[in-house]
Amino acid sequence: MQAVILQLAVSGIAMGFVYALVAIEYTLIWNACGLLNFSHEKIITMGGYVFVGTCLFQLGLPNIPAIVLAVILLAIFGIAIAALIFIPLRNSTRLIAVVATVMLGQVINEGVILIWGSVALMPKNFLSGVSQILGATVSKSYVYIIIVSIIIIAVLQFILKKTKIGKAMTCVSQNKTAASLMGINVKVSMAITVAISFGICCIIGVLTAPIFTVKQQMSTMIALKGFCAGVIGGFGNLPAAIAGGLILGVVENFAGLILPSVFKDVVAFALMVVFMLFFPDGLVGVKNRIQKHIAKSQMEKLS
Amino acid sequence: MKNYESLVKKIFPVFAMLLAISLFPVFLKNNYYLTIGCQAMLYCIVALGLNFIVGMSGMMTLGTGAVYGLGAYTSALLSTKLGVNPWLALIPVLVMGWLIGKGLGFPSLRVQFVYFSLVTIAFNEIVRNLLTNLEFTGSGTGVRNIPPYSIFGFEFNTQLRSYYLIFAFLVVFIIIALRIAKSKWRRAFIAVKDNPEALEVSGINVSSVKITAFTLSSIFGCVAGALYAHFNRYITPSTFTTDLSISFVVMLIIGGLGNFWGCILGAYVVAFLPQLLRSAGTSYKLIYAVLMMLAVILFPNGIMSDIRRSVGKLINNGKGFSKGGGIGENRTGN
Repeated sequence: MQAVILQLAVSGIAMGFVYALVAIEYTLIWNACGLLNFSHEKIITMGGYVFVGTCLFQLGLPNIPAIVLAVILLAIFGIAIAALIFIPLRNSTRLIAVVATVMLGQVINEGVILIWGSVALMPKNFLSGVSQILGATVSKSYVYIIIVSIIIIAVLQFILKKTKIGKAMTCVSQNKTAASLMGINVKVSMAITVAISFGICCIIGVLTAPIFTVKQQMSTMIALKGFCAGVIGGFGNLPAAIAGGLILGVVENFAGLILPSVFKDVVAFALMVVFMLFFPDGLVGVKNRIQKHIAKSQMEKLS
Repeated sequence: MKNYESLVKKIFPVFAMLLAISLFPVFLKNNYYLTIGCQAMLYCIVALGLNFIVGMSGMMTLGTGAVYGLGAYTSALLSTKLGVNPWLALIPVLVMGWLIGKGLGFPSLRVQFVYFSLVTIAFNEIVRNLLTNLEFTGSGTGVRNIPPYSIFGFEFNTQLRSYYLIFAFLVVFIIIALRIAKSKWRRAFIAVKDNPEALEVSGINVSSVKITAFTLSSIFGCVAGALYAHFNRYITPSTFTTDLSISFVVMLIIGGLGNFWGCILGAYVVAFLPQLLRSAGTSYKLIYAVLMMLAVILFPNGIMSDIRRSVGKLINNGKGFSKGGGIGENRTGN
């Protein structure tokens, strides 16, 4: 029993980090351009295909250079998409913006089918095998997901807080007019944000390749659950998105113990709908409300 | 008399269009094109319904595929498992549409724009997942051997017969949609998008208007789904994906939001354009997707409204801008 629980916890946390990465990736674009990137699912798939199809199979690169090349290619692609679609669309109607990003996803999907075919690809000897942790057998890919995600989150935090580019990005996401007055090139900053976001998409595709195999539908579920994670944590807030993703991953995995496996995917969406209806600000809103309540009661005590 | 003339002017294009649709099988007797023609008419019905939410009330729903699917499954399961007459099964389908409308309308009162799209996507995924995994919906294999509609022993079992059956339904729904487009409901729907505060000040309940829009839309969608089930006679959950919901919204945007003619045009474009592009070979889907994306980005007000504007300019020949008071016309601003 203990082994089972540990196993579920590890895979739950790993999937939670994947959802958190998805949430981070679209939150970056949401903050910078004010667009919800509905095409991120296809971009994750594209990342997987670029890594396995092009870098590993066609170019025959070793694993690490292949990942680096794939991430760089996707980042360049991101800059192009930002210049062509995201930046021009930032001032249009919200309805058009949503549909345009959705259609962008369809274009990418058809392009992927045309370039790599609609066959499932499986990287060989990549993050495969199992490892023993405290008597529980855990797939190695889950362990790698946890480690790599923590590294990415730390690096991203470093970039956003300590570097000039990151500070400019934060500034743009908070106030575009003020940013441009301070001499920040808003459009370049947006393009960099989109490039980083697409790079993270590619890493998600690479990390989940051994679990789902690289195919058209590999990222449908994680992309949608990434949205759930964002809603549960609090939309537009990076640390909250991470918390939301972790909670979602663990809850969903343990729900599989109690509920029939049929409902495993439904749990995440139901949780999201409940949060939308009753806690629309997510966990951040709940935390703020509790803090306010405490402050109020302290004030009452003092007076 | 003038009133009568303007009425004729407004009704005439509708008649011309219906005549064109009804004569379609005379020219293209190919079963393949008839099937796509049927599909286009079903899309028309869904688009006319969706217009109340997306076009007029300005709420972006991406769950129409699930509404369509629930309608199809309700009718299909009742007629295969319980042996209910498909005509009688339309009543539970209407009830289903009413329930979905109430259920989806409720979150629309509480959540804002993009979040609402997310809720509807979640709804679509929940429905698709349940349909795929539950035992009594036939799991992934779907429902087979669905009986066709029949009147006094006359079965609508060929493509041509179903074409005219669906056409009859389309006429009914077009009449309903046109009547609503003339009523106070349409004005209320548009006010929900443009100025909800003013609506409240005028003593109209915004929440009930929103829920009405949803109920109407999901009844349209559910009935179209039921027709689809009995026309195709075989349904699988893989049809009712988020992609289907997206293409419903694309129809509206291609045609022009809130525009009656736009719905019809959009539905026909989405149904027929991929088939016309097939000659381009393996890349036809990519070309189709690129065209749709460009249409959305370049013509955000819809192709139809641009056509209308240029035609109006031609007719008036510089006498000023046409009033654009067509049926169900609503110029979409920001």
